[in-house]
Amino acid sequence: MNYFQLFGLPDNFTVDLGRLSELYQALQKTVHPDRFAHASSQEQMIAVQKSAMINDAYETLKKPLQRADYILKLRGTQMPSEQASFSDNQFLIRQMELREMLSDIKSSDDVNFEIDKINQTLDDEFLILFNSMQSLLDQNTSDADELAYKDLRKLKFYQKLHIELERLEEQLFAD
Amino acid sequence: MALLQIAEPGQSTVPHEHRLAAGIDLGTTNSLVASVKSGKAQTLNDDAGQDIIPSVVSYQADGVLVGDQAKYYAISDAENTIVSAKRLIGRSLNDIQSKYPSLPYTFCGDENHPEIQTRQGLINPVQVSAEILKHLNTRAEQALGGELTGVVITVPAHFDDAQRQSTKDAAKIAGLNVLRLLNEPTAAAVAYGLDSGQEGVIAIYDLGGGTFDISILRLNKGVFEVLATGGDSALGGDDFDVAVVDHIIEQAQLARPLSNVMERQLSQQACFAKESLSINDSVEITLSHDVQPWSMILTKATFNDLISGLVNKTLRACRRTLKDADITVDEVIEVVMVGGSTRVPLVRTEVEKHFKKAPLTSIDPDKVVAVGAAIQADILAGNKPDSDILLLDVIPLSLGLETMGGLVEKVIARNTTIPVAKAQEFTTFKDGQTAMAVHVLQGERELVDDCRSLARFELRGIPPMAAGAAHIRVTFKVDADGLLEVSAMEKSTGVESRIEVKPSFGLDDKKITQMIVDSMTNAKEDIQARMLKEQQVEASRVIESIQAALTEDGKLLSEVEITVINHAISSLAKIAQTTVVADIEAAIEILNDSTATFAERRMDASIRTALSGQSVDEV
Repeated sequence: MNYFQLFGLPDNFTVDLGRLSELYQALQKTVHPDRFAHASSQEQMIAVQKSAMINDAYETLKKPLQRADYILKLRGTQMPSEQASFSDNQFLIRQMELREMLSDIKSSDDVNFEIDKINQTLDDEFLILFNSMQSLLDQNTSDADELAYKDLRKLKFYQKLHIELERLEEQLFAD
Repeated sequence: MALLQIAEPGQSTVPHEHRLAAGIDLGTTNSLVASVKSGKAQTLNDDAGQDIIPSVVSYQADGVLVGDQAKYYAISDAENTIVSAKRLIGRSLNDIQSKYPSLPYTFCGDENHPEIQTRQGLINPVQVSAEILKHLNTRAEQALGGELTGVVITVPAHFDDAQRQSTKDAAKIAGLNVLRLLNEPTAAAVAYGLDSGQEGVIAIYDLGGGTFDISILRLNKGVFEVLATGGDSALGGDDFDVAVVDHIIEQAQLARPLSNVMERQLSQQACFAKESLSINDSVEITLSHDVQPWSMILTKATFNDLISGLVNKTLRACRRTLKDADITVDEVIEVVMVGGSTRVPLVRTEVEKHFKKAPLTSIDPDKVVAVGAAIQADILAGNKPDSDILLLDVIPLSLGLETMGGLVEKVIARNTTIPVAKAQEFTTFKDGQTAMAVHVLQGERELVDDCRSLARFELRGIPPMAAGAAHIRVTFKVDADGLLEVSAMEKSTGVESRIEVKPSFGLDDKKITQMIVDSMTNAKEDIQARMLKEQQVEASRVIESIQAALTEDGKLLSEVEITVINHAISSLAKIAQTTVVADIEAAIEILNDSTATFAERRMDASIRTALSGQSVDEV
């Protein structure tokens, strides 16, 4: 049973998050270990397993990039490993530029302004890629899926940059 | 004419028996026990009408004292009187001595198993907590008039695996059945959530004696979903005292090292001053023991200056946690104050400023955690089968493994909803490598040295292969108590190595059993009798729950399957009458095993029912 079937949802990339959350809570209400605190240890063990699986399913379907990854796997898309070389030179050059912008923040005169600016840049570029991936996934053909996977890999780079920016922010405003 | 009783469809035909259960707030400074009595959760008092017990244990020549009686010795016999043991539990010696350099105790034991030298011999901090738990258990049994089926014990949300495991060990030594370890802020939310029935995002600001937690929760139709939690497991009201003590030392021109009596006297004066400044604008501090009588005036303004850095530290944690939860300050509809230290006026005003709304304080901040724990204990014990409440909690700190170069690879990220199971694959570094050292860590930093080491184990018998060819699958499982279990397996050969993470700092099972035996001899109880009784109670609990399940869902089984289970039930029932503990244990296991398929089918059926209920709602 895949995660979409588990929630009784169609396996589309676009998911109604409110509905997903409702279903998630309804399922946890029936299987959560708290419901079996006084049951037999067999039932307690199975409750932990099912509840953990439902948590994992919810987590996967809730987050768009994880959901995309999961859908591509379900569709059997060819996915070279994360370490495989990345041939889009233009994209790599852009990533290097963004990294430099990030490391320049520390020495800038107006840290807040620079952080906001790069945040905006990252968000804009993320959104363009995301929209492209979304429409490719909606086509649901193996050619489109392979292109969608390329977008997904790029989006993961942006996600990493975003996390690094947050870390940097934390460091800069620690005291 | 006598009327015959008929049960409602789907409900057990056995008249419901009320099981006694309690919620325990095992605090750094004070502890409480509460229970649901006639539908209302309330804290339980001693004969003098007092519900708060100081978390102090004194080891005197003629016995062990707990609470107020122990506190009496806090100054005069500081070496043998342990206060704030919660700050020591699940920590290494080095950790304790660097964080709290001026404790009056003589530490013994090794780095990972610190012990305190007392008049009654070497005492582990876990045993100190066990004494407090025993005391609370006795109080609850007296107040409720019977033995407890189980308890819910609260822990700071920020507690790591070692601290949680140690708390559970303390309960084991005290002879308590732990239904659940519950995070303190979540317990507080339960206490408030029931009263107000609110829906939306709430923040719980919990500043206790020794710990600070901030949790962001979403409430929705009885579901308490923790979105993120953060804080500091070594920041609390005690640190306000330390700041005041340092100030007094400076003003009185004292120089460290000071005598133990002096250190305790200073702490008590500082604590008194802090409490007094919640109501007054200034307070007189006097020193009389071990020194020329001396006094000074401490104003609220000076006090606020002394603690403002600490309060700011809590607000920084609030900001970080809101960010983790992906929630803005404006989305928070309510801020709940928990813990005695939230009585400090500066804390209240700063929290109000930060969240832009007046915090909720309508339930006594000292009691709200115990009350919430009691409500949850009542539900977990099975007294409220129709309850709609569900708590979805998270792990507070990321869990990972050491990889080459002293780096940590995260396997489960912080703020992941529990229970959770996640696997990650690793490979060998050298050609022909046949063993692999698995080092489990907890924390957010990237270097091993900056994280908490939880456990180490070795996976042996990997067939020799080229470097990078082996596939070692390491699985992390975290249960609903937030406790971790790790196993590792080489995929091609199925060589398996499994451990329940008993932190390097924790007590092994042998040691725990010894402590139970020790505490028994003191209480002149018989361990054999206790173990027998425990197994007999467990046997009848298992039989009862399986019979109820058969009545409800027997239709999911074939006749043969039912016969097998019934056979196991009657065999267990017979063996439970005997006195051989191991036999009863074995029979319980057989019955449990024979119901594995049944349990799985029941669970799947209820998932289907839940989903179909949902789609009907939508139509």
